[in-house]
Amino acid sequence: MSVETHAHHEHPDVVGSRNRLGVILLLVADIAFALSMVFVYFYLRGQNVNNMWLPAATSDHPAIEPLSAGPGWTVTAIAAFGLLAHMYGLKGARSQNQTQLKLGSLVALVASVIAIGYQYNTISSAPFTFSDGAYVSCFYMFAIMNMVHLLLTLFISFGNWNRARLGLYVENFWHVDIVRIWWIWMVVSSLLGAFSLSYP
Amino acid sequence: MTDLMSPKTPQWWKKSDVKKTFILWIISTAVIGYVGVEFHVRNMVAPASDTMSSVISLMRMFTWAAAPVAGLVAAMCITVLTTKRHYGDNPPEEADHEIRNSPKTAAVWVVVSGLFCLFALVGGLVVLQHDNEAILDKQAIQVNVTGQQWVWNFDYANGARSEDLYLPVNKPVVFHITSVDVKHSFWVVQMGIKMDANPGYTTETAVTPNKIGVFDVRCAELCGLLHAYMQTKVHVVSQADYDAWLSAHAATEAGA
Amino acid sequence: MTTLTQHTSTAPGKSIIEKLNVFTALALGVISAVVVWRLSLAFLPEDAEGARLFSREDKITLLSMCGWFVGFMTGIGALVGPMRWVMGKDLAHDENMFLAGENMGPKRYFRYTTDHKVVGIQYLFITILIFFLGGGMAMLIRTNLGTPEGGWLHPQAYNSIVGTHGILMIVGTIIMITGPFGNFIMPIMIGARDMAFPRLNALSFWLIVAAAVPLIWGQFIGGITTGWSAYNPLAGQAPLGMDGYIMYICIFAISTMVAGANITTTVVKMRAKGMTWNRTPIFIYGTVASVALALPAFPVFFLSQILSAFDRALDTSFYNVAGGGSGWLYENLFWIMGHPEVYVILIPAIAALMEMAPVFTRRPLFSFNVAVLGIAGISGLSVLVWAHHMYISGWAPLLNAPFMLTTELISIPTGMMFLVLIGTLWRGRLWMTMPLMSIFALLWNFMIGGITGIYLSDVPADAFLHGSMYVTAHFHYTLMGAGLTGALASLVYWFPKMTGRMFDKTLSWISFWLVQIGFNVAFIGMFMVGLAGQPRRVEAYAPTFNTANLVTTIGAYTIMIGMLVLLHGVISSARNGVKASKNPWQAKTLEWTVDYPIPLENFDVLPVVTTDPYGYGKAKS
Repeated sequence: MSVETHAHHEHPDVVGSRNRLGVILLLVADIAFALSMVFVYFYLRGQNVNNMWLPAATSDHPAIEPLSAGPGWTVTAIAAFGLLAHMYGLKGARSQNQTQLKLGSLVALVASVIAIGYQYNTISSAPFTFSDGAYVSCFYMFAIMNMVHLLLTLFISFGNWNRARLGLYVENFWHVDIVRIWWIWMVVSSLLGAFSLSYP
Repeated sequence: MTDLMSPKTPQWWKKSDVKKTFILWIISTAVIGYVGVEFHVRNMVAPASDTMSSVISLMRMFTWAAAPVAGLVAAMCITVLTTKRHYGDNPPEEADHEIRNSPKTAAVWVVVSGLFCLFALVGGLVVLQHDNEAILDKQAIQVNVTGQQWVWNFDYANGARSEDLYLPVNKPVVFHITSVDVKHSFWVVQMGIKMDANPGYTTETAVTPNKIGVFDVRCAELCGLLHAYMQTKVHVVSQADYDAWLSAHAATEAGA
Repeated sequence: MTTLTQHTSTAPGKSIIEKLNVFTALALGVISAVVVWRLSLAFLPEDAEGARLFSREDKITLLSMCGWFVGFMTGIGALVGPMRWVMGKDLAHDENMFLAGENMGPKRYFRYTTDHKVVGIQYLFITILIFFLGGGMAMLIRTNLGTPEGGWLHPQAYNSIVGTHGILMIVGTIIMITGPFGNFIMPIMIGARDMAFPRLNALSFWLIVAAAVPLIWGQFIGGITTGWSAYNPLAGQAPLGMDGYIMYICIFAISTMVAGANITTTVVKMRAKGMTWNRTPIFIYGTVASVALALPAFPVFFLSQILSAFDRALDTSFYNVAGGGSGWLYENLFWIMGHPEVYVILIPAIAALMEMAPVFTRRPLFSFNVAVLGIAGISGLSVLVWAHHMYISGWAPLLNAPFMLTTELISIPTGMMFLVLIGTLWRGRLWMTMPLMSIFALLWNFMIGGITGIYLSDVPADAFLHGSMYVTAHFHYTLMGAGLTGALASLVYWFPKMTGRMFDKTLSWISFWLVQIGFNVAFIGMFMVGLAGQPRRVEAYAPTFNTANLVTTIGAYTIMIGMLVLLHGVISSARNGVKASKNPWQAKTLEWTVDYPIPLENFDVLPVVTTDPYGYGKAKS
């Protein structure tokens, strides 16, 4: 077998477009996942079984008041900022401006760290226990989904920044482009959560 | 099947394999329809309500409707299998001519299966409509059914409660079904009705028993350890017997 | 994720790759499970007052299982690629070649090997194992049901065996074609050197291995007593074994999504030059439809199980009625996955037989376009029919009629599949082999499965039949009678390409007839008891059902003998079968143009396709 025939030597554009499709398909799965969470939220809200969506006060328990959806929208805003920073970096890569790429990636990384801190704070300061009714269950469901997505974002944006720092994106930068797709989905998925929680 | 033929032989219906298939089609349709209907009807329990009778006639109707389709496939398979078989380790000679597709055949096929679909749908809807009307019957007896691991409890309007179901004959009855623990399914076998008992919800179904006798109630949804034993009986009795049972039972309840 | 960058291989990193294999994975998985178990035992707080019974035990069990999962995947080397990406040290060419198992011999079957042919064989092995276990459980069930008064199994053991049999077989049938043949054959069939993402390919396989352990683990801590559908709230009160089921489903769902993205990308992006969609073999369509359908479906299942785990371990209220949860929510989530899932199983089986039909009749595939349309139609409709599993659950009686409509519409694309198969057989010269007879077997079984499906799709009839043995018989006719028949035919058909030897002809015939006759005896008997009113999943039944149940049991044993003959055939033919020529069936798809043993990257020179692979027969005069 000649060396030239190895997949290793395929043109980066070919490899890039293949990776792009693969990531989009994986996202289809994640989108189905997130949308079914929205379904869970509105289904339980609509059913309100035993009037326990937001339990009324009992002798040993005050009534459950829904939280403001503000924190959810804030996480979305931070993620959107991260996306913009990342796209700024991508623009730098396109115009062969490595400094801009590194800067954009770094800011995106920082945004993901801030978002994680903020999301953690939201979860730990929530005045609920897990068994406080269906709304609270759904609140935790969205919060935990956001957290998992943000941790993935941290991993990805750290790698992206590190690779930019090492100068791996000089010749071809389709990785950066694919990371952008992830960032978009990060924004949209946290938006889905924030949107749902706005209708307690 | 027009376009399955070579273009040079316009009288496709005169081909020997087409004739053979046609005869086989008629035979196998008759056989499949008869056997299919008898298989279902003989094995199904004897009906104790109009609902069950209509389920049985629905199955009979669907089986006869499906028989020509199944019969055609069977006939073609038999023709093919009895004509050109080749044994050996090497492939037979290739076909005489290549027919790659036949829009006409496909169109006919799709239209026929679409009609079949429509037929099944309408048949189902008619019966369904009939069943739904029963729930709205104002004269009906109301019985609350509660499933719990692993017994059924029946509550009647006068406060009577029993583990065996008692119903008067020829009187519509509406069941309000719920569960106290996990999901069960309330199945009155010979009356052809079934409705899940969901914790947290009340569901409804209705039937009019038309035969005096003792019939089966079974749980049709896996509900834990003793699911298999979650059965009871329904006693369909005359109106007089029912009234007597009900008042006697209510009295006991009140006394206790 | 291969890249252009050519690093000189870093010695320490490479040595890690070389050290990792299934044994390090097992060791690391066990160690990490034990560590997490001890830690959570020591540090997890006691349950709060009034919390659900055993919720601390559930936390410990789930955490330990996660420990196993992370340890195992780390130990097999799944994290090497992502970590190297983050560190900016992409795998170099020789490392990728090492991962592909170049010059490694049999050891490569025990590693995180990326070569699609190795993954295909691994999948074949695990499919056989799953069928062996699931089949053994079926035998226990049938033995228990040989007598009416509940046999020798304790009801809890019986329920657990029913549940485990169900979920094992569902997973087994999901992977039985797209796993072994989708991985081994499909890339060669489209003229590619490997899958689009070789490392994800290895990942999807090893995830299944990682998933299997919690399921087996679950058998020893109470079992899966809920049936394969694991309806809540029953699952909420089930023993700790349920956590094994939850983990198993979650990991398997990830595997399915990864495989789905990988296979779809491979087919879309890597077909040989000239292989337009019109020239792409129908089997490829079937494979892609199946995995692409799983892509949006399985995450829903995944979520349903995560919420189930929350309810169990954290005492949340997704399905817990007392806290505002809903059992109907679970049913919806489950069946939104559950109905596409049966077509995930069925489509590749039928497509595989469509692929074989022209070969064994020496005619072109009849109406290729109709076949594609049928596959597309079934895939599209299958996501709109889930609530026909819930006609009598009472969740939305008004929706019963629309779901009845969508369900019955599925018979149209299904009919197209029949048309293609029967049209190809018509006036063909039948080369009497086991794969050819499997087509007839599929037509027979799927006809019965399909027509009984129409009764079940009909709301009033379903009100009688739902939850009875009739349903069990119906879906065995479709998944086993049609699905498994296609998989067994695929095994015999592609066996020479995968092992270099022919499958023993006599054994294939013996097993075919034993399985098919046994199957029809068994499940006709099951239809009978269903019609007579025997519910599903019961360990005891009224004496009136005895005869038909005994018939079913006898049929089931016949199937078992047939499957054992087949297993014997696989082993003996792989060892001493007749050496196969390059193209023993004289088929025209690309996989038959490569010699055995197939070189690492399949093709020296990538093929160029100029026609579709169904050009049998003399041209029209």
